[in-house]
Amino acid sequence: MVTEEKIGNNIPLDGAEGHVTGTSEYVSDISKIENELIVDFFYSTEPHGEIINIDLEEARKISGIVGLYTYKDIEGENKFGPIIKDEVLLAESILEYVGQPIVIIAGESKKAIKLAKKTIKIEIKKLPHILSIEEAIEKNQFIGETRVIERGDIEKEFQKAEYILEGNTRNGGQEHFYLESQAAIAYPQENNTLEIISSTQNPTEVQNVIAEILGIPFNKIVVKTRRMGGAFGGKETQATHPAAMAALVAMKTKRPARIVLSCDDDMITTGKRHEFYNKYKVAFTKEGLITALKVEFFSNGGYSNDLSTSIRERAMFHAENAYFIPNIKTIGKVCKTNLPSNTAFRGFGGPQGMLNIESIIEDIAIFLKIDAFDIRRLNCFGIEKNNTTSYEQEVSNNTLPELMDKLLKTSNYKERHKQIEEYNKNSTLYLKGISFTLVMFGISFTARFMNQASALVNIYTDGSIQVSTGGTEMGQGLNTKISQIVADEFCVEPKTVRMMITSTEKNNNTSPSAASASTDLNGTAAKDACQKIKTRLIEFASNYLVKDNSEHKPSINAIEWTYDGIYDKRISNKKITFKELVKNAYLNRISLGERGFYATPQITLFDWNTGRGKPFLYFTNGAAVSEVRIDRFTGELKVLRTDILMDIGKSINPGIDKGQIIGGFIQGMGWLTTEELKYSEKGELLSHSPTTYKIPNIQDIPEVLNVDWIENGKNVVNIRQSKAVGEPPLMTSISVWTAVKHALSFISNGEIPKLDAPATSEEILKAMSRFPISMKV
Amino acid sequence: MYINTTSFKTVYYLNNNYMKNHIELCINGETHHAYGEDAFLPLSDYLRTKLHLVGTKEVCIEGDCGACTTLLGRLKNEKFYYETIDSCISYVYQLNNCHVVTVEGIKNSKLNSVQESMITSHGAQCGYCTPGIVVSLYSFFNSCSKKTCTKSDIQDALTGNLCRCTGYETIVEAGLTLDNNSIEKLSDIYSEDKLLAILGKETKENIEINTNDYVFYQPVTLKEALKLKNENPDTKILAGGTDLHVMCNKRDFSLKKILYVSNLKELKSIEVKDNHITIGAAVTLSEFEQSVSEYYTDLKEFLNLFASPQIKNIGTLVGNIANASPIGDTLPFLLVMDSELELESVNGKRKVNMNNFYKGYKSLAMESNEIITHVNIPLLKKDEILKLYKVSKRKHLDISSFSAAIRMKEKNGIIESFIIAFGGVGPTVQRIYEIESYLTGKRLCEDILNEAAQMIENIIKPISDVRGHKEYRLQLAKNILKKFYFELLESDKKKVLA
Repeated sequence: MVTEEKIGNNIPLDGAEGHVTGTSEYVSDISKIENELIVDFFYSTEPHGEIINIDLEEARKISGIVGLYTYKDIEGENKFGPIIKDEVLLAESILEYVGQPIVIIAGESKKAIKLAKKTIKIEIKKLPHILSIEEAIEKNQFIGETRVIERGDIEKEFQKAEYILEGNTRNGGQEHFYLESQAAIAYPQENNTLEIISSTQNPTEVQNVIAEILGIPFNKIVVKTRRMGGAFGGKETQATHPAAMAALVAMKTKRPARIVLSCDDDMITTGKRHEFYNKYKVAFTKEGLITALKVEFFSNGGYSNDLSTSIRERAMFHAENAYFIPNIKTIGKVCKTNLPSNTAFRGFGGPQGMLNIESIIEDIAIFLKIDAFDIRRLNCFGIEKNNTTSYEQEVSNNTLPELMDKLLKTSNYKERHKQIEEYNKNSTLYLKGISFTLVMFGISFTARFMNQASALVNIYTDGSIQVSTGGTEMGQGLNTKISQIVADEFCVEPKTVRMMITSTEKNNNTSPSAASASTDLNGTAAKDACQKIKTRLIEFASNYLVKDNSEHKPSINAIEWTYDGIYDKRISNKKITFKELVKNAYLNRISLGERGFYATPQITLFDWNTGRGKPFLYFTNGAAVSEVRIDRFTGELKVLRTDILMDIGKSINPGIDKGQIIGGFIQGMGWLTTEELKYSEKGELLSHSPTTYKIPNIQDIPEVLNVDWIENGKNVVNIRQSKAVGEPPLMTSISVWTAVKHALSFISNGEIPKLDAPATSEEILKAMSRFPISMKV
Repeated sequence: MYINTTSFKTVYYLNNNYMKNHIELCINGETHHAYGEDAFLPLSDYLRTKLHLVGTKEVCIEGDCGACTTLLGRLKNEKFYYETIDSCISYVYQLNNCHVVTVEGIKNSKLNSVQESMITSHGAQCGYCTPGIVVSLYSFFNSCSKKTCTKSDIQDALTGNLCRCTGYETIVEAGLTLDNNSIEKLSDIYSEDKLLAILGKETKENIEINTNDYVFYQPVTLKEALKLKNENPDTKILAGGTDLHVMCNKRDFSLKKILYVSNLKELKSIEVKDNHITIGAAVTLSEFEQSVSEYYTDLKEFLNLFASPQIKNIGTLVGNIANASPIGDTLPFLLVMDSELELESVNGKRKVNMNNFYKGYKSLAMESNEIITHVNIPLLKKDEILKLYKVSKRKHLDISSFSAAIRMKEKNGIIESFIIAFGGVGPTVQRIYEIESYLTGKRLCEDILNEAAQMIENIIKPISDVRGHKEYRLQLAKNILKKFYFELLESDKKKVLA
């Protein structure tokens, strides 16, 4: 069988025409059905307290208010959580963060709801609250068990070490800032069932949680997701809450109910990327070879677990990033605080883990007065040896050395490094810095059971195809890639394939679109379905193509399936089109629909008792060089140039992958530079809108940005030898932050400059003011 | 939902003195009449809920993300000029005789080439910011005569549009690959004659719209405006609304009585004469930027940072003055220039120096029946240096943590005059007179500037807030004097080299 490769074509994003014309439909755009209710909620303004009384009397009297519901109105279970059942939809007796929903409000108009919010009175007995990681550590407030991964003997190594550095690193959280806020509509249907339209990465979780809250079987709920206006992990678990509120209202009132959070409420009430505080001790030689590392990770989990324990685990898996460290011990703890429960965000702990080690390496370089690149090259995972992680997974098909050597050349790093040294000697106004960092990101959900997917492929008699998977589209291009995979299986044009709305009635028990693995999982499941159909069609074709020919017996091995048509190679003048084939197959009662399934092979269940396992199918790698300029008087930062080189295997869609790389980089740059979550002493988020929370703007992109990837056809374990690309590029942005550190080293007189993330102008100015300004003019 | 317009109109004309009771506008070429509460809606809300034009997205509803960007066509000299605005903070009552074009309206039957280019360049990912981006990018080409554009053209056109997915690079590419000649212009899509026939009639009628909660006045002349303000001193004067409407959307604030002044001819003047420039209260920041920035070094770049095109296209300079924010970005400039405000009421005109205008936090030295009609800004003298500084978390489209303006005259190494104002260090933008008198007559050198910087600690008392700690602001205030000095040195060096 011959197939002409069409994968790798740069076809436009599925849905792009709708996007540019404004006709793509999101939850809040769906036409209102008569009788539809608006759903909102009243939330806690206290970080910690006991509810003494809830007074809804005045609110009930307001015309246009249809329903006010507290936890007492929940007929099922007011307890859920993806890992630990420690969350509530509506607060019961204890309030645990500012923004915690207490009362669901259903009304005919926004005006009525606004009025109702003003009249609801909650009597609260205040309790002491914790916001910071340090305070949680001090008061021993943790969520879940402590995790440890250990290899070698760090203590022995520390004793004989040439050099030791000890310190801590800290990164702030990050708001997802998806432009479409959390939203859902619940449509009541006959026999106490509901159809939900939700902006979620995880329709199955929305389905299950709603069913549990309502106390009905899962099969009474259908959840559909057309697309999301951005998600980035923020709609992996936390789309559940608003959808459940709408569902509760719809069930109670038997009226359609829609909830669309305001941008501010979304930011105030939902979780974010985890803030981390890490303590480390590192031993190294005078050449910069790291011989031992101990890291204690402390993440700020917020009031409940959500995905915090898993995120902490991924931070631990990436504690060493791309570097072989023979003796290593990582300890991970999740702190419980009175903040909204922090959640998944692109990278899922990986960025925090990597930032720590990249910061440590930058510090070692400053300490030893060696170029940090040389230290990274020295410690990088090897090809033949020094290629196992701390949890003893082999780093196979290691492309990191290749990436380092290639990018070193193309970025002209060494020469620019020298130029910067010269520049800083003579510059009175600015300081420049440059840094080269690596990314090695493990692909697969670290919870093994989640690595499964199903897909439904239906072919119609005109040759057009519908595909449904459990994957959800949030702009990452999943649907486009799957349509390319399916089209290529059948040798048809991708436009023949229509990607259907994600629905739990078509694909059950789905995993969230997360962990960068949606194409890997759903694409492979779709391919499985295609191959099952194709097997039947080839068999049919083998008969059909020789039916008027007495010379040849039917042979499936003789069937050629190409973009030009399907034929028996013994009778090559008789070609039929795909359309003709499926039409005739149908007339001969051959099934033209199939469900495919995929479970990621090779990965093992991680054993946390031993700290060993193979959590990842493969690694996506990257390298980046960033050059920055900081204003010596204001601390303002400008990224002058960034060069990124990735290993993403064989790209299924270069245009989409390039978009993921650049988008990830800029988003990460925001996390590490301008995006700062500011809270009041009570734990109220003060930076709760784009006026005060500053994501990168079009003017912030590097003056020069070069993005490329290497040719790598060796990743045979994954669909079409591709590699996942959603999250890994975000961590290339660490090069920006370490470049700031490098710039600061020029005024620190050999001292290691203390810098936290994000490196805002304020943080940089603070770091600079620790060293007296000595300017040569 | 809609009231039968003909009968409603008739009744109204009978009972009132030929005052118009609604807003008449075109949206994507179609005429619409907004009566009663509809006139008091944000344009984005009106488009989405009344007309189901849902391509216009509402995200931040405070003019900071651009997802709601639409084109506003305003009539100037018998021709429609289109500029982008944030429809979330532009209310329907501001749009009488305007032509609004939404993302749905920027194409004929087939996609325009900006849209095509966004598709092929992968300029859209999740799609939520995309309509706003497309409108802003299209607007740039629609009003630009250049055949192709540069990266910075696109960046400047899209400063007001946030995208969280793409990292912008592919959007820039989408713009760079476009040939302006291939783009269908709005004047090709909408017949100017048809629009003129609907919206071109000169407005001779005052507009007054009443609901149970609100009143809106749009007088035709300044005289009538002054009379209204005198009779209704609690009326809020509104032009661009880029500050007030954010408060309405976000802060449980409502404008009960509005006096709209942006259409007043008397307030639209920009005049350069007698060593000063006079800017009318209805002059938008874009108009101000285009016409006067050449007169002041640094001002052009500063205004580029100051706000997005969407804000500058509707917001006014006088609005920025009247809003009296302690971090109002144009204020340090206006204070060091010794600008003068013209105030007018039914009792007559008077002038007040801007340095005497701010009495305390958002407290102004003006009477409740007065209107700011103009601001007079003296021109910079040839031997004077002007430097403007704005420090914020993000360089563009951010509210300052700290701002400063310095105007200096130096001769033979001696400072002849030194004028300095800070924003973000107190309840109002303020001149730092102690520093001014200390430096005047001194030698211009590092030590002297350092000494002045040390004095600052005892003069200003900044506070900590979401935009920065007080220590940071104090440090910036001190450093800005040093920065000023070293920048002068650098530019001197460059001059010597040249």
